[in-house]
Formats: sequence, C-alpha cells, structure tokens
Amino acid sequence: CHTARMLTPNGKEYAQKIPREELTYLILKLLQAWKEPLSHFNQHMEHHQALPDDSLSKAKQISNMVHELETGVEKVTEKMQAMGIISNSLNGMASSEAAGLSISNEANMMSDSDFIHCFRRDSNKVQSYLKILKCRIMPENSC
Amino acid sequence: MKQKLVSIVQIILLLPLDTVGLTGQSCPGKPKIIRCRSLEKETFSCWWKPGSDGGLPTNYTLFYSKDSEENIYECPDYRTSGPNSCYFNKNHTNPWTTYNITVTATNEIGSNSSDPQYVDVTSIVQPGSPVNLTLETKTSASVMYLWAKWSPPPLADASSNAHVYHYELRLKPEKKEEWETISVGVQTQCKINGLHAGMKYVVQVRCALDSGEWSEWSSERRMQIPSGQSPPEKPTIIKCRSPEKETFTCWWKPGSDGGRPTNYTLLYSKEGEEQVYECPDYRTAGPNSCYFDKKHTSFWTIYNITVRATNEMGSNSSDPHYVDVTYIVQPDPPVNVTLELKKPINRKPYLVLTWSPPPLADVRSGWLTLEYELRLKPEEGEEWETIFVGQQTQYKMFSLNPGKKYIVQIHCKPDHHGSWSEWSSEKYIQIPNDFRVKDMIVWIIVGVLSSLICLIMSWTMVLKGYRMITFILPPVPGPKIKGIDTHLLETGKSEELLSALGCHGFPPTSDCEELLIEYLEVEDSEDQQLMPSHDKGHPSKNAKTTPKETDSDSGRGSCDSPSLLSEKCREPRALPSTLQTKDVRDVQENKARKSCWETQCVASEQKPLLFNSECAKSSTWPAAQLPNNQLPIFAYHSIVDAHKITLNTTNANVAAVLVEKEEQHQSQYSVTETVPGDMERQGEMENLHSTTEQTTVQVKQNRPNEKSSFLDAALMDYVEVHKVRQNEESSVLLKHKENSGKTEKYTIAGTSKEYTKVSTVMDHNILVLMPDSRVLHTPLSQEPAKETSQNLQQGQAEKNMSYCLTAPSDCKRETSGSEYMDPSSFMPSLK
Repeated sequence: CHTARMLTPNGKEYAQKIPREELTYLILKLLQAWKEPLSHFNQHMEHHQALPDDSLSKAKQISNMVHELETGVEKVTEKMQAMGIISNSLNGMASSEAAGLSISNEANMMSDSDFIHCFRRDSNKVQSYLKILKCRIMPENSC
Repeated sequence: MKQKLVSIVQIILLLPLDTVGLTGQSCPGKPKIIRCRSLEKETFSCWWKPGSDGGLPTNYTLFYSKDSEENIYECPDYRTSGPNSCYFNKNHTNPWTTYNITVTATNEIGSNSSDPQYVDVTSIVQPGSPVNLTLETKTSASVMYLWAKWSPPPLADASSNAHVYHYELRLKPEKKEEWETISVGVQTQCKINGLHAGMKYVVQVRCALDSGEWSEWSSERRMQIPSGQSPPEKPTIIKCRSPEKETFTCWWKPGSDGGRPTNYTLLYSKEGEEQVYECPDYRTAGPNSCYFDKKHTSFWTIYNITVRATNEMGSNSSDPHYVDVTYIVQPDPPVNVTLELKKPINRKPYLVLTWSPPPLADVRSGWLTLEYELRLKPEEGEEWETIFVGQQTQYKMFSLNPGKKYIVQIHCKPDHHGSWSEWSSEKYIQIPNDFRVKDMIVWIIVGVLSSLICLIMSWTMVLKGYRMITFILPPVPGPKIKGIDTHLLETGKSEELLSALGCHGFPPTSDCEELLIEYLEVEDSEDQQLMPSHDKGHPSKNAKTTPKETDSDSGRGSCDSPSLLSEKCREPRALPSTLQTKDVRDVQENKARKSCWETQCVASEQKPLLFNSECAKSSTWPAAQLPNNQLPIFAYHSIVDAHKITLNTTNANVAAVLVEKEEQHQSQYSVTETVPGDMERQGEMENLHSTTEQTTVQVKQNRPNEKSSFLDAALMDYVEVHKVRQNEESSVLLKHKENSGKTEKYTIAGTSKEYTKVSTVMDHNILVLMPDSRVLHTPLSQEPAKETSQNLQQGQAEKNMSYCLTAPSDCKRETSGSEYMDPSSFMPSLK
C-alpha cells in the first residue's frame, strides 16, 4: 500500500497514547492520501468495463464519501484548534505530505485487488482512529 | 403323406399353445416370501419375490392373520420398506403373536397365492448395521492403538426409543483371512491395541438387541497403522480468533503422528517483515493452540502462520494461514441480561430488557464498537423472532402476551468486520396477567345485569306463560261458518245439522220415496206399461198374464185386494220359499201390485210386526201406516230377507232372481237412502216399497226368465192425482185411492210436466209431486187413464227405463237429476 510508509499506531494502546493532534493529523493525512488514487481508480474502472455497473457506482460513491469525510475532518480539526482542544502545530503538514504521497507512482502501480485491500485497511484505520479520538475528546458520548 | 398329416396335426395342436405364448398372458406365477425382518421388535417388514407376471400388469397384495384368528387383514404399508415389501408399523406389530402371511399375485386373468409364512416377531428381530465407522490411530505413552468409533443403526421409525444394542467388532489385517472378533459391549467406541505397526487393517462392526440376532456386519473400514518410521503428517490450522480486538488465538489439528511422539510448533511472520517468530504461548488457550497476547498482536498487518509437526523421523509443516486480526474479531456474548417490568400510569405495562457488553470488550474507548441483536420466542414456540437492536444496550418490549412465558437471548458483533458472538444464556420472561380493576368491575356489572334480565324473563314466563305465548303466537282461529254449531257437528244428528244448514231434502227424505212410490202407484196396472218397450224376451206369457190380472181399477191402490192380503197374511209362517213362490204366483195371478204385498209379506216373515200391520191395512201402499221408523228397516230387511228366502228356494227362480235383483237395486237405490237408518219419513217406507217393487220390476224385466213382469202391473194403480198448488209449483197430489174403480184422469192444466219429484207426503197417503224441471219432453206415455204426471213420469221413466233396463245402474243416474233416486229411473215404462 502506498500509505504503508506512514507510521500509524497499530494497536489500541498506541492509539491512545499519541497526542490528539497527531492522531488528527494522521487521520487527515490518510484521507487526503486517498483522494487522488480513488479518482484515478474510478477513471480506470470506467474504462475497464468488465465490472458491473453497481460496482462502478459504488466506487464512485466511496470516493465521494472519502472526499466528504476528509472535508469534515478538516472542519472539525479547525474547530478543535479554535477551541484549543488541540494545538495547531501540525497544521499545514498533513496536506503537503499527503499530496506528496498521492502523487507517487505507487498508487498507480497497484493492482486492483491490492488497491482495494489497501483501501479497506486504511478506511478501517481511519474509522478506528476517529472513534478513539472522539472518545478521547468527548468521553461522555456513548463511549 | 403320413408325415404331412402328423405335422399338420402337430401344428394344429401347437397352435393354441403358440397363441398363448404369443399373447403371453396367463395367470401370474406364485410369489415367494423371501424373508421377514424386524429391526427392533416393534416393527417389521416382509419382502417377497414375485413370480412370473403372466404378461399382464400384476398386483401384489399381502394378507395376514394373527395366531389362529379368523380375521384376515391386508398389509398396512406397501411403501416404506421398498418395492415388493410390506412394512408393519408399531400399531400392527404384536410381539407375542404369530402371523400367518400370504402374498397373492393378481392380474386380469387370475391370481396365485404364495405359500403361507408363519412369522413370529420375536424370532425375526435383526437390527440394522451400525453406521459412521471411523478409525484413528493414537499414541499414548508411546503405544500406538487404533481408536474405532461408530453410530447405532438408524431406525425407520425415528420416534422409537433408544434401544440398547450390544456391539461386536472384528478386524483383520488386510491381507489375511481370519477375523479377530472383539466384544465391545454397549459402547459405540473401542480402542484396539496390539496392532502391528505399518500394517493395514480392516475393521467391521455389528450389533444386536438383547436377545435377538446379530445384525449384518457394517461396511469395511481400512486403516493403516503407522509404522513409526515416518515423519508425522501435516497438521492443519483450524481457526484464529480474537475476542476483544486486542489478543488472538489460533488452533490447529494435528495429523497422524506416525507412531512417535510429535512436537508441534507454530511459526509466524508479519507482513513486511522477514523475521519468523514462534508462538509466544502454547498453553493458555489449551492443547494444539497458540495464544497471542497484546504485545504480539498487531493490527492492520497480516500474519503468516504455520504449524510444524516434528518427530524423530522428521517434521512436517502445515499450510500457511494468513490472518489480519482486525477481521477475526468474535466477541463474547453480552452479560448481565436483566428484565424490568415498567408499569406506567394509564398505559399498558411493558418490559425493559437491559444487558452489558462482554467484559473484555473495550467499548469505552471506542476501540471496539458492538452491535447487538436479540431473539425471543414463547416457551412452547418453535421459531425465534430476531430483533436487531444496534449499539444500545437496552430494549423495550411492548407486544408480549400476558400470562405467557418467553425465552430471550442476545448476541453481539463488532460493527465492522467480525463475526457474531455466541448467544447469551437463555433468559425466561413471565408476563404477568394484567388485571385492571376497571375492567373487572365492568365485567361484573355486565354479568349481574344479564343475570337479572334472565331472571325477570323467566319469572314472567312462569307467571304468564300462556298469555305470553298467545301474545307471541296467537292461536289460529277456527273456521266460522254461519249456521254451523261445532258442537252440533260433533254430537248432533245429521238431520238436525243439515236442517241447521238450511238444507232441505237432503238426504233423500220422503220426497223421493214418494216420488218413487207415486210413480209406481199412479201408473195404472197396465201390464204393457209395465213392460218396457224393450221388453226383451220377457215372457209374453207373463206379459199377457199380467194384463189379465190387471183390472181397470188403476186408481186402486195396489195391494188392495183384501183377499190377497189376508191370504198373504195368513201365511206368515209358511215356508218362506213356498210362500214366496206362492206369492209370486199369486201375484202373477193377481195384479202386479200385489207383489208388493207379497214382498211385504215375505218380508213380514221376518218382521211379523210389520207384516201384521201391513196386512192389517188393506190400504195400499202407504205402509205409511206402518210405523215409520220401522218401515225403512222393514223394507230393507224385507228385501234382504226376501233375498235370503228366495235364495233358498229352488223353485222360484224368478223370485230368486227377483229378490236378488231387488236386493241389488235395493242396494243400489233404496239402501243408500234407507240404510242411514235414521230416516223417519213416511215417505221412506213408501219409497222403500216402491223400491222393492221397482227393483223387482226391474229385475224382472232384465231377465228373460222373469215372470214377474206382472209385478209391475201390480205396482201400478196407486193413487189418484190431485193437482195441488204448492210452493208455486204445480205439484200433483197423489192420493191413495180408497175406492177402486175410480179412475180419474187428470190432466194437469198447463204444461204437461213431468212430475218426477215428490215434494212431500201428506196425510200419509197423499203424495205431492213436483215437476221435474229437467224432464221436459212430453213423453208419449200420456195416457188418458193416467194421471198425466204419472204418465209423464212413467213415460219418462219408460224412456229412462229403456235405458235403465239395459243398465240399471246407469239409469239410476241418468234420469232425474235429483240427488236421490228417481223412481222413474227404475221403473220400466209402465205404459
């Protein structure tokens, strides 16, 4: 996976230990790292024409969701920074790093199955990190 | 030539056989019962082998009888045990009876029965073979043994109880012939020692019930005993699981260990790393397992796990198993399942179910999010109702039936990737019955009210039942006919009743009789008149004689001559027959009218009273002087008796005939009128007389032999006719002529009418005639000497008689349409 180089906590304890800013930063980085490859993938799928239409529409839907999620997380981050929950030391770094990642060829050279596999994993990561972040910031909310 | 003949004969002889062979149709062959077997003494089956079917579709039926009973039953089930079989289920199987079984094959041509087979269920018990035989080699304490396992034989009737079988096992090396048999007992497994390593063995098992036969041997199973010289077989990894997304465990299954003690090692490597690690913990999770604790668990990385078996001879590795822990999470079931009954005000109470996530799952940090699902069913129910609850840990149940018991279970799963946990332990819910005071009160009130209403209704029914019924079902009104008194109907006499009805002259009263009588009487004693025109074969002699007898005194009442009368009277007790004959003769001699007396006299034989009275009266007809009530009877009897008398006579054919006819006519005519017996009219008797006379007359004329034609004449000359004004009708009075010789001819002024109706009788000897509207034509029988009415009547009668004589019965009806007899109808024309 093109995001394998990213150092991400691979356990609950680690995820709970790292500071929130880093966690937020990681989430954003992950999400941004997938925006481009997903659009590429969609284009690739459309040309492929081997897949049924459901899959194509689903892929498109997923890429949209990722895009929206990324936007949402950005907004939340800004809010949190504004509220002082997290510091804004790592503010601009995520986007630039992520951009560098996404442009790399690795994303383009993956086979379809690897691509999907990587995406599945990273989405799971994002989900887990978000949940932990949520419970760390607002523990009273069904945590 | 001879050969040819022979061959021809042969062909002819063979031809029918050939046809048989060609058509191939014949009686079916005899079936044969192959065997009967019972699996467990509660059911049994019999199989038969069909004989030849004779070329036609054949039906096989199995009949059996028990012990020495007479009843023959048919097979209850032809299907369960397959073709050509009969299955006797529990209901038809009696272990202590002997069954006499025969199979009959039937086709269109005929049938054939097998020999009977006597079956005793207990003796044919043979269970099926055991199934699912498995073999394993095990090494314990460096000793290799074979572990065989099997299952009991399946039963056709699944509901039958578990029977206790005894098992027996036999094995032999593959290449050898001799079996070694081991008695196992009631267990379904066996460990066999002392086997030679490296050899292949064949194993079989069989079973038997307590006292029955052994089943067949099961199918063979072969097993290679590991010689202990080879490395172990490859183990296989069964599964890896993480209960809380923090640790995980893997289990594997070892292969055959080759006879030597074998070690198993689990080796793994992570994705992206080259290093191979060994399982950190072989124990925690049990044998043949590896437990990865938190430190060794990494998420979002793929583990490559293999298990290696090692023994002295070598090692063997399993296939690699790739696992990402994120996706193998299977939590424990939820815990702390609690129920609470909430009873809100003014609402139906409901149940709240709460639970807690499994203890190990870290839901608080959000690391593991669980979704829950619960299922419930009524205690007696079969199907579960599954409800997805989501991430909440409570659930409200509103739609449970009160009073019933339910079972509830919950399980959970991670919200993403993972598998469902096991179901929690069963929780029983008892829904309390919901008795609300309000409802109870309502029901009580309703019940009380309805019972009150019932009471009131029944009370009113009891007290005023009849009135109620009449109110509801009014009685049907009877018929109300004016003039009829129902009581009178029931009890009174018919005359009174009829008089109440206003009906006069019914039943026939003296009027008719008078009519008859008068008819007779008025006519003068012309014998010719007496004789009808169609006088067939009447002895002219008679005819002639009668005229002789008749004298001119037509007006005289018949039966007037005292001499005759006295004569007759004096001979009351003479032999009836003789008297009869005599009378007849006398009558012949005398005028016909006298015959009436004769008959009367004859009759008077039986009724001396009457007779005397008759005789006493030299008057004519009116036996009116006779007591009325007696007369009818008299007359009736007279005829009857006369009949009897005459019957007895041998001489008086005529009389006999006469009387018979009399009687007949009597029966036809007068009887109908007089038999009612209550007639008390004067006229009746006259009527009767006349009838007798008439009948006699009539008879006479019907019979050629009759000499009694003269009688007719005698019946004539009755009365004088007076025209009488009565009831606006010109009616004619007929009086008895006291004085003979006085013939009066009356012509009735005006129209010559037929006076065929007698309206009344006056003074005992006066008949009042009424014209009959129907009889219009003027008969020729108007004779000057006769009262026209009479003539008319008689003429009419004659005409009628012409009819009548031929058919007396007919004429009766034909003439006067009066409801009662018209004497004219009977009287032959007296003209």
